[in-house]
Amino acid sequence: MLLVVWNLLFCQNVHSLPICPSGAANCQVSLRDLFDRVVMLSHYIHSLSSEMFIDFDKRYAQGRGFIAKAINSCHTSSLATPEDKEQAQQIPPEILLKLILSMLYAWNDPLYQLVTEVGGMQEAPDAMLSRAKEIEIQNRRLLEGIEKIVGQVHPGVKENDVFSVWSQLPSLQAADEDSRLFAFYNLLHCLRRDSHKVDNYLKLLKCRIIYDNNC
Amino acid sequence: MADFARRQKKPLIHCLSQEKGANMKGNVVSTTALVLLFLNISLLNGQSPPGKPEIVKCRSPDKETFTCWWKPGTDGGLPTNYSLTYQREGEKTRYECPDYITSGPNSCFFSQKHTTIWKIYIITVNATNRMGSSASDPLYIDVIYIVEPEPPQNLTLEVKQPKDKKPYLLIKWFPPTVIDVRTGWFTMEYEVRLKPTEADEWEVHFAGQQTHFKVFSLYPGHRYLVQTRCKPDHGYWSKWGLESSIEIPSDFPTKDTTVWIFVAVLSAVICLVMVLAVALKGYSMMTCIFPPVPGPKIKGFDAHLLEKGKSEELLSALGCQDFPPTSDCEDLLVDFLEVYDNEDEQLMPPHSKDYPGQGVKPTHLDPDSDSGHGSYDSHSLLSEKCEDPHAYPSTFHIPEVNEKPENPEENIPCIPDPQSISKEGNGPYFPTDESKSSTWPLPQPGQHIFRSPYHSIADVCKLAGDPAGALASLLDKAEKDILKSSKTFETGGEGKVDEQKEMEDAHSETKQDASWPLLREKAPLIHGKPPDYVAVHKVNQDGVLSLYPKQNENGHQPEKSRAPEGNKEYAKVSGVMESNILVLVPHAQATNMALCEEPAKKAPPSLEQNQSEKDRASLTAASSNCRGPLGGLDYLDPTGFVHSFH
Repeated sequence: MLLVVWNLLFCQNVHSLPICPSGAANCQVSLRDLFDRVVMLSHYIHSLSSEMFIDFDKRYAQGRGFIAKAINSCHTSSLATPEDKEQAQQIPPEILLKLILSMLYAWNDPLYQLVTEVGGMQEAPDAMLSRAKEIEIQNRRLLEGIEKIVGQVHPGVKENDVFSVWSQLPSLQAADEDSRLFAFYNLLHCLRRDSHKVDNYLKLLKCRIIYDNNC
Repeated sequence: MADFARRQKKPLIHCLSQEKGANMKGNVVSTTALVLLFLNISLLNGQSPPGKPEIVKCRSPDKETFTCWWKPGTDGGLPTNYSLTYQREGEKTRYECPDYITSGPNSCFFSQKHTTIWKIYIITVNATNRMGSSASDPLYIDVIYIVEPEPPQNLTLEVKQPKDKKPYLLIKWFPPTVIDVRTGWFTMEYEVRLKPTEADEWEVHFAGQQTHFKVFSLYPGHRYLVQTRCKPDHGYWSKWGLESSIEIPSDFPTKDTTVWIFVAVLSAVICLVMVLAVALKGYSMMTCIFPPVPGPKIKGFDAHLLEKGKSEELLSALGCQDFPPTSDCEDLLVDFLEVYDNEDEQLMPPHSKDYPGQGVKPTHLDPDSDSGHGSYDSHSLLSEKCEDPHAYPSTFHIPEVNEKPENPEENIPCIPDPQSISKEGNGPYFPTDESKSSTWPLPQPGQHIFRSPYHSIADVCKLAGDPAGALASLLDKAEKDILKSSKTFETGGEGKVDEQKEMEDAHSETKQDASWPLLREKAPLIHGKPPDYVAVHKVNQDGVLSLYPKQNENGHQPEKSRAPEGNKEYAKVSGVMESNILVLVPHAQATNMALCEEPAKKAPPSLEQNQSEKDRASLTAASSNCRGPLGGLDYLDPTGFVHSFH
C-alpha cells in the first residue's frame, strides 16, 4: 500500500512503453518506441566504448605514439558513411539505415574476439572485461531493434551484401607486447568512433522520421 | 651566427694576408670589424629563431566547425609568423589554416567546408622569423571529441501563481544560436542553478533535454539568481550563462503538503503495525502488564442468575436455602463435614482457636479471619455436594479458577464406599465430576447427612441486609482460599507420595495446620449402607495421615468424653485400590490418647505458619510414644491435639 501511495505521489509522469512479448506474431511496437529504444541503446554503447578507450589509453598507451599509427586503420572505413551534417541529411533514410546495419554486422565478430582476448589478458582490469561483454550484448540487441525498424520503414529490403571483414585477430594475439597493445588500441579506437557514428545517425533519423525534423 | 662569423673571418683574413700588402690588409680588417660589429650587435639584441609554439586546445561549438588556439613560444626578438597546417586522415595533402582571424589572435577557425567529422586531423603550428622557424608538436584530434557548446541564451524568469495549484518559478532559455537541435544532428542537455542573493551555495538542477524548468520550493521575499549551462550528448559542459535575477513576491505560499502526506502515511503504517502487534500478542502483553484478576469463585454462584436478578435462586444456588436467612441457615453453619451414624453425631471443628468452647457447634466464623478458612472451604465443598439433594439444587456450580469443563448437571454422588475412597490429588480444586474433595469415611452404619459447613454461606445468610457486601467479602475470601488450594493441588500425581507432598504443600500454604486434602472421589456405591467418613486432620512428615474421628454434634469434648469403644477411627491406610481408592483400617487408639496428649499439649499453642512443622514434630514424637497395641501404628488421633490449639 505504501508503494502505491509513493508512486502516486512521486511518479506522476510515468510513461510505460508497451512491451512485445517475445514470440508474439502480431505484436507491433510503435515506431516511436522502437526509435526511443535504439537511440537509448546506441547512446549507452558509445558511452561504454568511450570509457573503455580512455581507460586503455591512460593505462597502456601513454608515450607509445599509437595514435599516429592508428590513422586510417579501421576496417569499416571502406563503408561510405556520411562525414558531416550535410552529407548525413542528404542521404536517404533507408540507405542510412542500411549503412548502420552494415556497420553493426561488421562489429559482431570483432566484439566477440575482444571479449575473448580481454578475458584472456591477465593484466586487463575487471571493468574493461565487463564493459566489453556489455557492449557485445547490447550491440546484438541494437541490431535486432534496427532490423525491426527497417522492417517497418522499408519493408522488403534485401539483405546487405556489403560487409566489412575484420582481419586483425592475429594482431590481437601477437606475442610482441607492443604489437598486441596497439592492436587493442586500434580496435577500441575504431569501436569508439563507429559507435558514435551509429548513435548520431540514429538520432538524426529519429528526428527526421518521427518528428519530421522538428525535434 | 658568431661561429659563422668567425669561420668567415678566418679565411678572409687568410686570403687577405696571402694576396695583398698592408693596404689591402687594412680594408679587410675594417670590413671584418664591421661584420663582427654587426653580428655582435645582433647578439646583443637577443634575436633568435622563434621558440616552439604549442597548440593549446581545439574546440567545436556545434559539431560543424571548430577552432584551434595555440600559444606562441619565444619570438626570438624578431617578428615571427605563425602558420597552422593540417592534414586529414586518409589524405596526403597538407593544408593551411583557412581562417586566422575569426577566432581571434593565435587561432585558426575551420569552417563547415573544412570540417570533417569522424576523421583525425593532424595539426601543426609553425613559427617563423627572420632567424629561423620552429614547429610545434603535432596534435591529433577528431572533431567529435572536442565539442564544447556556448552557454544557453535568452534566459527568462517568471513567477507563476496559477489558481488551485502551487505557485512556482518558471525558468526558460534557448539553446545557443549555432546549434542545430531540430534536425537531431545535435543533442543537448541542460543544467540550471539558482540561489538567493545572499546565499553562498548554488542549488543545481539537471534539466535533461528540455528548455524550461519549474522551481517550487522558494523563499518568499527573497531575490534569486539563476544561471544555466548546456552539454552535448557526448562532449564538454559549456560555461555558465549570464545571470538573471528575480524577486519572489512576499505572498508566495510555501505549503508543502507532500511532507504531510508522507508523515500521515507513515503514522498510519505505524498504527497498523501496532494494532497488529497488539492483536497478535495483545493477550500475552496484557497479561504481562495487567495480570488477570482472578474472578470470584463462589461455589454455587451462578452469574447468569445474578444477571437475571433473581436473588433467591442465586442465593439458593450459593447454598442458602432462602434469603433472608431463616433459622434453616443454622444448618449451614456447621463448620465441617458431618458424618452421621445417627442423627446426633457430629464432628468437631478441626480447630477451635476461633471458637473457644464451641467444639462442635457450628458457629459463625469471623468472616474476616482467614485462619482455617482454607480447610473449611475444601471441607465445605465436598459437604456441599454431599448435602441432602433436597436441600440444595442439583445444578449448582462454582466458577473455577482453572478452566475445567464444568458439569453442573452432574449429581455428585456423595456416598463413597468406605472401602473405596478414591484419592487423587490432581485436578483443580473445585468440585466437578473430576475433582471432588472427600474425606475418610467412618465405618459407621446408618444414614449420613452431610452438611456443609460453609461458613461464608452462613455469613451470607446472616448478613441479610447486605447481600452484596457479604458476597463481595465472600468472593474475596473464597477466592483467596480457592487459589491457595488450587495452586497446591495443581500438579497432581497419583499415588500416596504425591498426595502427601501436596498435603505438605498445603500445610505450608495454608495458615492453619489442618488442611483438608483434595481427593478425587470416584465412588460407586458398593455397600448398601452409606459409608462413614472421617476428616483427615493432617499429614506429618513421615506421610502419616492423621484423621479426625467423627464427633458428636453436641459438642462433646472429643478427647475426653468420647467412649473409646463407640469410636472407631480409621487411621491407617491399608492399601490403595484401583489407584484412587484408599482402603482404611479402623484402629482404636483412645487408650493411648492420654499418653499422647502430653506432648501435644506441650506444643506451643500459637498458630503460626510453621506451626504445622512443629505439630508434625510433636505428632511424630507423640506417635513414637504412643505405640498402640497394633504396634508400629503411626497414626494418631488428632483430636488429642485439639487442646493444643485452644
